[in-house]
Amino acid sequence: MSWRSLKFWGVMLVILGFIGLLAFGLTSDPKKVPSPLLGKMAPDFSVTSLDGKSSLKLSELKGIPVVLNFWGSWCPECTREAPVLEAFYQRYDKGQNKVRVLGIAFQDTPSRAKAFAKRFGKNYFLALDDDEGSIALNYGLYGAPETFFIDPKGIIRFKQVGGVTPDLLLEQLESML
Amino acid sequence: MADIGYVTMVMALAVALYGTIIPHLGVQKNNWNLIRSAQYATIFNFFLVALASGILIHAFLTDNFRIFYVATNSSSDMPIFYKITAFWGGLDGSLLLWVLVQSAFAMVVAFRYENSNRYIIPYVIVVLNIIIAFLLTLLIIWSNPFALQAITPSEGRGLNPLLQNIAMTAHPPSLYLGYIGFSVPFAFAIAGLIRGKLDNEWILTTRRWTLFSFYFLALGLILGGQWAYEELGWGGYWAWDPVENAAFMPFLTGTAFLHSVMVQEKRNMLKIWNIVLIIVTFGLSILGTFLTRSGVVNSVHSFTQSEIGPFFLVFLGFTLVIAFGLLFMRIRMLESDHRLESVLCRENTFLAQNILFVGIAFTVLLGTTFPLIAEAVRGTKLSIQAPFFNTVTAPMGYALFFLTGVGTLIAWRRSSLSSLQKNFQNPLIAATLGTIVIAIFFARDWQPLLIFWISIFVTMTIVIEVFKSTRIKAHQLSTNFGMAFIYVVMRNTRRYGGLAIHLGVVMMFIGFAGRFYDVEKDLSMEPNRPIALGKYQLIFKEMQEFKVRNATHRAAIIEVYEDGDLKEVLKPAKSFYPTQPDPLTEVAIRRTLWEDLYLVLNNEDSARNLVVIKARINPLVGWAWMSLPFFTIGVGISMMYRPKSLQIRSEVTGRRYVPESRHSA
Repeated sequence: MSWRSLKFWGVMLVILGFIGLLAFGLTSDPKKVPSPLLGKMAPDFSVTSLDGKSSLKLSELKGIPVVLNFWGSWCPECTREAPVLEAFYQRYDKGQNKVRVLGIAFQDTPSRAKAFAKRFGKNYFLALDDDEGSIALNYGLYGAPETFFIDPKGIIRFKQVGGVTPDLLLEQLESML
Repeated sequence: MADIGYVTMVMALAVALYGTIIPHLGVQKNNWNLIRSAQYATIFNFFLVALASGILIHAFLTDNFRIFYVATNSSSDMPIFYKITAFWGGLDGSLLLWVLVQSAFAMVVAFRYENSNRYIIPYVIVVLNIIIAFLLTLLIIWSNPFALQAITPSEGRGLNPLLQNIAMTAHPPSLYLGYIGFSVPFAFAIAGLIRGKLDNEWILTTRRWTLFSFYFLALGLILGGQWAYEELGWGGYWAWDPVENAAFMPFLTGTAFLHSVMVQEKRNMLKIWNIVLIIVTFGLSILGTFLTRSGVVNSVHSFTQSEIGPFFLVFLGFTLVIAFGLLFMRIRMLESDHRLESVLCRENTFLAQNILFVGIAFTVLLGTTFPLIAEAVRGTKLSIQAPFFNTVTAPMGYALFFLTGVGTLIAWRRSSLSSLQKNFQNPLIAATLGTIVIAIFFARDWQPLLIFWISIFVTMTIVIEVFKSTRIKAHQLSTNFGMAFIYVVMRNTRRYGGLAIHLGVVMMFIGFAGRFYDVEKDLSMEPNRPIALGKYQLIFKEMQEFKVRNATHRAAIIEVYEDGDLKEVLKPAKSFYPTQPDPLTEVAIRRTLWEDLYLVLNNEDSARNLVVIKARINPLVGWAWMSLPFFTIGVGISMMYRPKSLQIRSEVTGRRYVPESRHSA
């Protein structure tokens, strides 16, 4: 092989390598930040529901997987994932009693959160984080929405930064059962 | 209406595809009529794209929220000006703007250079049409700005209020003008490679396009910086965010190209290098769009991300492989006939300067994509922040800045040591004396002192150069200095335009030096109790609410005194927009030549009647912005140049090849 054609293939290799690297970048999500909480016990909390009718303590839900979603009426991505979560709730929580779906709004006001829930017809358990945002702090939130998948033993198995999809919810639910 | 818009884009795509095939057939069959039809097709194409753009703007003006793009980027309460600029506020519209400008350029190029570059112009049209066709395909299939939604919302989501700023409305189009402008020299280079005509003509022809693109990229970057400074409230203007880097890289290689083509023009060297540079510059503009829109790197800029990433990647790969493939095919034709004659010559300064520009661009590219490399190789997530970029690029930046001065005074081909000594003695002495004075009275740290030293050195080289030529001219023509100065500049517009731009670079670096001395303090302010900050006394009077356009501002009224004199009343505020749940920060700035007083309303404690103000003193920031008028004047002067050889050729071939239809008419 001559020096010139060696150079040619060298340049082509660099180009393809670079394109390959960027293509790899497309397959991975920079927002997927590994959480130190994975594999650890989910921090406990008790909250009163948005409508004020019931209250809940996370540790009392042991024995059933929990999908814990953090949201806010101020977050655009949450509007996109709201119907997905609601449909999931209707099918697997209310319908089959296989999972508990919880939504915790943080950095929000009760009236705005309620209006948001009404607008998107949310029926699953919704509550507001306290004024200091201590639940959000305990879970080390990166932004909204974020969703934690907690197995029947109360251990965090997976965390999703950004909106959830029906496939993701189902896949994670199956892995926890 | 929306359907018409969509159909128009499909028709434009058909026309663009016609334009990619027909010129090639015209060359094969040696039939200029076919090529002429492709020229006219560029007009038709521009007309169609302009019509589509007009329809979209009309939809914005009439608040047609059935169109998803309008509903997500506009709202009925927005001022008309921002409704128009919302056209390019999101991905779909900005792609349409890109096609609009690209097709306008294709049209101008197709006719403007039909005589002066007759041999390669068919393939220039082909290359430009391929780019247009690619963009239109994206628009039609993945990113249709005319897509309708099933339910018409009563109100749109509104343009992000952060973007409702004059600088920000001009920032994206001017970056686009820059990116797209570089597609013209790129198209000429590729056409030259295809046709095997690789003299220096493509460089002379596209000289002004290169300048134009350089200017608009610089303008876009400066406007973006000003926007960040005025709107974001962190007090700086550049954060090495991947999206900023994406715009910066083509600017660096483009500026390198702008300089290195002069070596080819004067000395017939660096031919391969120039083609590589323009391919890389064009590739980097595509890469920049890919990085901003695909979400492969984490950025604080919350752009709407979309599915078009893979297609940009395919296009980038296609462009690079074809372009470099062609280059290797013709590489024997490009090998230089000249060797460097001496170490001390302007060619070498240009060479060093090019290496530095490309070195910085490579560093930025590495830093921007390193998180990807790390993840691919080690599977770890990491992010590379400003400290890396500042540490690595600063020394290269200073060296580059120093060369700005050296290049001015060193001669082409060879310089003798004695002439060097004669030329550089005075600037070096002036720079050293000036820096000593600054060191005694103001500054100590080595980085800003180095910047001041180089700034004085570069300014002196320019001043001495201009003064000498003016004095000689004034003597020759026995006229006054003013007239002689104008005469000197007009005789060599390229050179003196360039020197004006270099003065702008000096301004910019002086602005950077100020960054080393900024002061930031959080002030808890009670009403009517003065607080001292630097040479200012600040007094918080009261909170006020007032309307500004479509927003309500809640502002802290702060009086700024200097030595007991009231200088200005600043109103840092939170602004509330009807379509936005959270308030935004409105910075208040007192601008002076030497420093900016920069106030941000952080918090209001109405119970204790307190406000918390973040106050910054940013020395010399204004100087960085002052580079813009120098760039504008400099590029304006340089653009007056048009090579004689091309003018003559254009006339001669124009007379020889007047088409039949024109004769009869």
